[in-house]
Amino acid sequence: MDFNGFKQAVIAKCEEMNIAEYELYYQVGGSTEVGVFMHEVNEFTSSLDGGVCFRCIVDGKMGYASTQALSAQEAAAVVMRAVDNAKTLEAEDEVFLGEGGQAYEPLELTPYALPATEELIAATLKTQETLYTKEGVVDGCQSQGIMQESRIAIFNSKGLDLSYENSAAGLITVAVVSNGEEMEDAFKFKLGKLEEIDIDELTEKAAEEARRQLGGDVAPTGQYPVLFSPKAMASLLQVFSGIFSSEAAQKGLSKLAGQEGEKIASDLVTLVDDPFHKENPEPMNFDAEGSPAYCKNVIEKGVLTTLLYNLKTAHKAGKKTTGNGSKGSYTAPVGISPYTMYLAGGDLTEEALLKKADSGVYITDLSGLHAGANAISGDFSLQSAGFMIENGEKTTYVKSFTVAGNFYELLKNVVAVADNVTLPMPMGKTTFGSPTVWVDGLSVAGK
Amino acid sequence: MSAYRVIIKGILKKERKHMISRELCSRVLQVAVSTGADYAEIFAEHTTNRAVSMIASRVEAINDTVVAGAAVRVYKGLRSVMASTVDTSESGLVACAQKAADALGQGTAQIDIVLRERIFGDIHPIGIVPSSVENARKVEILKEGYFAAKEYHEGITQVTGNLLDVDHNILIANTDGIYTQDRQVRTRIAISAVADLGNGTQTGSCSPGRRMGLEMFDSEICAKEVGLHAAKQAITMAGAGYCPAGVMPVAIGNGFGGVIFHEACGHGLEASSVAYGQSVFAGKLGQQIANPKVTAIDDGTIPNAWGSINVDDEGTPARRNVLIENGILKSYMIDKFNGRRMGMESTGNARRQSFAYTTTSRMTNTYIAEGEDNNDDIIASMEYGLFAKEMGGGSVNPLTGEFNFAVNEGYMVRNGKICEPVRGASLVGKGNQVIMDIDMVGKNLDMGQGMCGSSSGSIPTNVGQPMIRVSSITVGGR
Repeated sequence: MDFNGFKQAVIAKCEEMNIAEYELYYQVGGSTEVGVFMHEVNEFTSSLDGGVCFRCIVDGKMGYASTQALSAQEAAAVVMRAVDNAKTLEAEDEVFLGEGGQAYEPLELTPYALPATEELIAATLKTQETLYTKEGVVDGCQSQGIMQESRIAIFNSKGLDLSYENSAAGLITVAVVSNGEEMEDAFKFKLGKLEEIDIDELTEKAAEEARRQLGGDVAPTGQYPVLFSPKAMASLLQVFSGIFSSEAAQKGLSKLAGQEGEKIASDLVTLVDDPFHKENPEPMNFDAEGSPAYCKNVIEKGVLTTLLYNLKTAHKAGKKTTGNGSKGSYTAPVGISPYTMYLAGGDLTEEALLKKADSGVYITDLSGLHAGANAISGDFSLQSAGFMIENGEKTTYVKSFTVAGNFYELLKNVVAVADNVTLPMPMGKTTFGSPTVWVDGLSVAGK
Repeated sequence: MSAYRVIIKGILKKERKHMISRELCSRVLQVAVSTGADYAEIFAEHTTNRAVSMIASRVEAINDTVVAGAAVRVYKGLRSVMASTVDTSESGLVACAQKAADALGQGTAQIDIVLRERIFGDIHPIGIVPSSVENARKVEILKEGYFAAKEYHEGITQVTGNLLDVDHNILIANTDGIYTQDRQVRTRIAISAVADLGNGTQTGSCSPGRRMGLEMFDSEICAKEVGLHAAKQAITMAGAGYCPAGVMPVAIGNGFGGVIFHEACGHGLEASSVAYGQSVFAGKLGQQIANPKVTAIDDGTIPNAWGSINVDDEGTPARRNVLIENGILKSYMIDKFNGRRMGMESTGNARRQSFAYTTTSRMTNTYIAEGEDNNDDIIASMEYGLFAKEMGGGSVNPLTGEFNFAVNEGYMVRNGKICEPVRGASLVGKGNQVIMDIDMVGKNLDMGQGMCGSSSGSIPTNVGQPMIRVSSITVGGR
């Protein structure tokens, strides 16, 4: 049974059970992955995944149920399960389904016809062979090619009937290098149109990053200026992005509750949430509730302009939704997340920023963010790697140390921001970006 | 007459129901090997996941999902092809097998398929299957834990609670002749508490689970204790200062403390790293890689333990594998595909989150075995250091062995005595170094439950250990 047949079966069941307010959220994704090890393709995967989430309002409560088995029997079962689940809920916040007939900003999404499998295999093999030509690269290195297409559709009893399709290809390369004593690796990827990916640049970047990690020292313990690379700051922003959710604020899980209009960060901090960012291959013009998505400054020159809202939290706060309703997966209840969220750049080049800092540590990578950062308290203590800064220049490579602080304090302690905004991992609807940022008041633990 | 028919119906119902018939599996496998594969398998699943969530003292959401689909995987030498689908009709499965066969290349069938059904003994009996219990009962259990945390102290500002149950039914058929099914039921309760005593927000959590049904709450786990544990931890940490930074000896508590072995060593012993030379432990079988005090085991057969299985996701029975014995490396954790590259047999460690992921070698219940030291002696041996009573999660790069993990509840140790609690600590180091530096091992082995994320998805694993001492490690603090 296809989605349309399933939809008709669900509509019939809802009519039979007198359910007036309901919605179907359908998501399906196909992907092809090619893995190359040594000099040949060793893994090939073709998968089709996805399903339908049904939700309905029963006595003011929103019940959910989802399934991957699209059959008439399951169509009836999800409706009954969702009704049953709704009856168990106790939350008193008023719940809503999105209205049909809303206006959306046009999407500049050029359709991309995915290449043939043979082309993906050829590009992946070429990536691996190019990687092998790079200095220091040894056996153990791997390359991977991916192609994916996804479709989302939302249909509800209030006239909402939206759909979205997107496709992309990408190349991933893992450089493994050795100096005879130890090995290091680095991973780079590029998503977009296969023929536009610069394979030489991609593999050189990975090899260069792996090479610079060989040897190296441990940073000294102490408090000194810390510069975060765009990649390191974007990962920190990602793990703490939940503090900008109005749901977290309303539930007492973010200290930003009641802070809208207040100064929460240094004047240098402007935080943007942009659903249409040019470097994100998955721009969106509607959210998981079908509300229009739009670009906004969450923080402007240090002042918290707005939190991110969906229909439920906006109603509770007496505001309008910011179009940030989201689903972690198609099965999840509607929550809140940003689109492309990034710190806006300043005037200085990265070189000028290093000169200005003169000495300290430049952090290129942070690890273990799921464990070493607490999104509720804001505390973090994270495994780090990067360079010492001496006389305004990056010098010795340093690793196996930690940097510790608190994200709420970090926002206030931003000393300078460079002009090099980048999105280090542009994959998926939610993506983070940053320029190089200098922060004071952090603790480094090493030797 | 009518009573007789009812009995017949009852007997028929008891018969094992198969997701996909043996005949259909044979046909699909035949298509899968039609282009020359030397091995093919079908993995099908039908899983129900339910999670009841509470926040702000109310039932907020119920997540209720059905995962259903199948994957066909074929090998030829050191090449693997996997195709998955949500269409498990005969035509859907055949199309999926054809896709895999086509991707492998051009060739002709080399092997015959004879499937014989195999029933593995169930070493993890389930008393109360959660999917047969109404929501109201689950809410009742969750509330016991929730309100124990909420009402523990006036400094508790928010509590979240989840009761999760999973009913994971799998079918595996492969050209080694195996045709089998398994049903993996698991239940977990998770309570997190947020506390503020005027010195910044802190959190505490507790999330035990078992490969059991709801009988877990009658025998093994008390929901109220779970809530109290989370609340006490949050209050303790809310009253704590920051952990100082530096290099020092660290005693790590039992149970989830075993995450140190999981990250520092366990991932580096998985065939997915070892087969490709991407592990600091590759090529070291028979060598001294850990302190002689360390014996470590991966055991998928512990009855009803969180990471246990009857059979792995390639149809190999679960095993108990001694990984390290008195510091000597004895075994890796191996799946069939990576085993080919290593020239070694599967150790029953092939696992995947769902049909949509490609199976690889993963841990089950992995722990450091009990040693000879007394806990009191471990603490008494430390002049200045950290007692990491409860650990959080962590991560590792198996190639370099560099790892990190978070300390959820820590205390300073001075002159052999446990002193004030400290917040915000993390531990970083290199796996091959830290397992040499485990120089004291206690006697109170316990397990902690985690969800381990890797290339084949998120799977339930136990970590475990008695209290141990690491002679010197970098403590991240401020």
